[in-house]
Amino acid sequence: MHSADDARPWTFYAFAAFFTLFVLFLYGPMIVIYILSFQGPSGGMTFPLNGVSLHWFGALISQTRVGDIAGSFVRSIGLAALVALVTVVLSVLAGLGFRRRFRGSAFAFYLAIASLIMPGLFVGLGIALAFRLLGLETSWYVSGLGAQLTWTLPFGLLIMFAVLGRFNRSYEEAAIDLGATNWQKLREVTLPMLLPGIIGVALFGFTLSYDELARTALTAGSENTLPLEIWAMTTNVTSPTLYAVGAVTTIVSFVVIVIALSSIAFIQRRRIRGARDATLASAE
Amino acid sequence: MAIIEQAADELQALAASGPAVREAAPEDSGEAASWFQTAPMVIVLALFFGLPMLVVLVVSFFDFDRTDIIPTFILDNYVELFRSEVTLRLYASSLKFAFIVWAVTLVLGFNIAYFLVFHVRSLLWQIGLFLVCTVPFLTSNVIRMISWIPFLGRNGIFNQALEGAGIVNQPLEFLLFSDFAVIVAYVHLFTLFMVVPIFNSMARIDKSLLEAARDAGAGRFRVVAEIVLPLSRTGIALGSIFVITLVMGDSFVVRTMSGGQSASVVSALQNEVAGLQYPPAAASAVIMVIIVTLMVAGILRLVDVRKELAG
Amino acid sequence: MDKPTGSGEVAVVGVTKRFGETVAVKDLSLTIPHGSYCCLLGPSGCGKTTILRMIAGHDKPTTGDIRIGGESVVGLPQVRRGTAMMFQSYALFPHRSVLDNVAFALKMRGAGLAERHGKARELLAKVQLEKFADRLPGQLSGGQQQRVALARALITNPRVLLLDEPLSALDEYLRLRMRGELRRVQKELGITFIHVTHTQLEAIAVADTVVVMANGRIEQAASARDIFVTPRNAYVARFVGGQNVLSGTVESTMNGTAAVASRNGARFAFPVDDPKPPRGSTIYGSIRRDRITIEKVPLGSKPPGGLNSVVGEVHTIENQGSYVKVTLDLSDSEEFVANLLDENFFKNPLDIGDRVVARWSASDVKLLDDGLGARAPIPAEAEVATAG
Repeated sequence: MHSADDARPWTFYAFAAFFTLFVLFLYGPMIVIYILSFQGPSGGMTFPLNGVSLHWFGALISQTRVGDIAGSFVRSIGLAALVALVTVVLSVLAGLGFRRRFRGSAFAFYLAIASLIMPGLFVGLGIALAFRLLGLETSWYVSGLGAQLTWTLPFGLLIMFAVLGRFNRSYEEAAIDLGATNWQKLREVTLPMLLPGIIGVALFGFTLSYDELARTALTAGSENTLPLEIWAMTTNVTSPTLYAVGAVTTIVSFVVIVIALSSIAFIQRRRIRGARDATLASAE
Repeated sequence: MAIIEQAADELQALAASGPAVREAAPEDSGEAASWFQTAPMVIVLALFFGLPMLVVLVVSFFDFDRTDIIPTFILDNYVELFRSEVTLRLYASSLKFAFIVWAVTLVLGFNIAYFLVFHVRSLLWQIGLFLVCTVPFLTSNVIRMISWIPFLGRNGIFNQALEGAGIVNQPLEFLLFSDFAVIVAYVHLFTLFMVVPIFNSMARIDKSLLEAARDAGAGRFRVVAEIVLPLSRTGIALGSIFVITLVMGDSFVVRTMSGGQSASVVSALQNEVAGLQYPPAAASAVIMVIIVTLMVAGILRLVDVRKELAG
Repeated sequence: MDKPTGSGEVAVVGVTKRFGETVAVKDLSLTIPHGSYCCLLGPSGCGKTTILRMIAGHDKPTTGDIRIGGESVVGLPQVRRGTAMMFQSYALFPHRSVLDNVAFALKMRGAGLAERHGKARELLAKVQLEKFADRLPGQLSGGQQQRVALARALITNPRVLLLDEPLSALDEYLRLRMRGELRRVQKELGITFIHVTHTQLEAIAVADTVVVMANGRIEQAASARDIFVTPRNAYVARFVGGQNVLSGTVESTMNGTAAVASRNGARFAFPVDDPKPPRGSTIYGSIRRDRITIEKVPLGSKPPGGLNSVVGEVHTIENQGSYVKVTLDLSDSEEFVANLLDENFFKNPLDIGDRVVARWSASDVKLLDDGLGARAPIPAEAEVATAG
């Protein structure tokens, strides 16, 4: 491996510059939106900024002019939390199930992958048609929930595959050896050790649902989710309220992400992995 | 009767030859447990994905009038699709976007992954920078897409910067509401899908292989071409599948960013849905799925992906 | 610590284990006396770990039975078996403190917090790790982790302790030290230890009984001394080391000795007993490497003939501290090694390429089983006295 004072090749700097440009590319436009959301009351949709104000944030709260932002916001958070919960339970279970070879495992696997790759609008179309044929009304907490699960469950499953792949089964065997029943083993050893991965699944479940558009478009029923509201705004709103909405919604996302990632970091730090090599000097 | 006696003898012989102790078959009970554990997910997916896709297939053969769909079996929807010129143009447009975006995200994704895996030395930095790339993906796609509008518009930041620096005299029109904008948005949204699988593949490469190649005299680029590229095949294939299916299946980005000038197969489909023309929309969906499946199968032919996905 | 109740005699009775197409263990029978230290020795894939896991209950035999203290334990849950296992990687729960790790088994049985922590601390004191009770396993060194694993296994008062390559994760220095520790603990507790390893010298160092395995079968089960001094066949002789294997065709037999001619013309005398091997049959014998003398053959002179000697070229010389390992290149492919006491070697040192003659006395040769079709097979069950 490299020593600390190995000189870096010129390609490193080239790559690093390239990477920085990419990061700017990723974050730049969003930062522009944040800045513009502080547009002054008489300002337009683009630069220059006519003063700085929180005027457009205030406009969010008054429902009449810009649609049902507050309502859709609450619905989206609720739906996302529900999706996260369901995704965690189902993905963790299925992930554990896939550890063994069983008849039908290939079918289940390809079903999940197909669900992942299928364009969201088609899935939404299918569900809407199915509900229509059955004479049911679409609603955000039934058809919308189901549609979003077709997107989050495969992700959750893939994450569980990655996490379980690194999980050494001898911990579970040790637990059984020490007298644990299957349930005790799960509770005391397997699930606690998989916790970082489980948090990751919850994170993906929440954010993927919270931002989901294509699948929900046809299945949310009469009450919109936040992304649907935003989408409607893009076509018929001509004020920086849109930017204010964008700023607020991404901040919520960031908060959720930070909470999840710091929990994972906290847990990992507590479990220092790997023994230090035994040395003659260490206190025996 | 003789045959019964014979059967009875054989049964007896079978019983006598059984093992002295319970035969061990832990695999059996394990299988049942796996079924119980995967069942909930499979049920949900079958209900909300499998079934709806079958419904789409079925409806694609239906007839329709101004207000309703009529259950029957006609091939008219498909015939219309194949006859229409528009279909060809839409597919050409979608495929064009898909190809360009694939190429750009591949180059970007490969280089970013390469940087993170081979040039970043500290694991902490690797994880940190990886997260920096991933976090935007976890925020609203719609917002990220429309955030390009004030950026690329006639009075947008980019043009203002260019004019300010004196590179151009008047704002560049093609930046927004054009194919260029569509591609920029796609790349912005989907590059991560290329980065992650390639990163995964590259991280599994044994670093000592590279050192052995350097030892044998390979220059920097030869090492990449001979060793890194082939060993990242799987990640590249996976990333390509993601990007291509995402672009082909999109309607929102192409609508917004092209200002209505360009269309894609799915955006046309969305129009039909809005006009309550479900059967033709369904037929369009079925054809699209077949075509994309063929593309994916083609990619999978080149690379065996199951091993990588299954860990 | 309280002595466990019940006998720790382990009987493996006609066990076969199949994994799909592969047969890992073939109709194996073995009795390990209560309170003895038994090592299962063999290369990877010989089935030793499979046997261990079946005794532990982590795998079930395809056919056959396993009895501990006389009662069958196949299918019994952990709590009723009276066994405990120490894993090769220790498998200490990284998310629990050392104390919680050791107390885990008691927690599974429903013991209260104070009670199980108290017992765990006692045990940690016994392995001199009481100061580390509140640390996480990841903060301990390899040797310390091993002791925690040991304490964790012993807290349930098992009658049989199963160790899966317990020393292979340690570096050389620790490995040698811990051997003695394991032996000492076993004697103190008086329970049965079954220890799986692929290191020959380790097995001989710690065990009362060594069971040499290959391909799912027992090649020889005997005391450590017997395994070394009287290996049963060529496989055991070669695997355990310390022996040279000689072979040849019988020319004649007389007075309990057979005259044997090897392929490349050397002539040996093997001690044989009834029934005498027939003329023309191939027989095998082993001679200890440290019972060989080496003499240089001066340049140009004819190599001396004679019974019980071979002529060859020095191929490698390895200093092993108190002895020097000299490998000879004979004209056939069999490796021939002489372990010479260091003083003797350095009095007249050899060089690589020297022509030498190696000699030994006929009485030091032991007959091996291979090729003796008519001979009654020695039963493979361990018939060893208890530790003491």
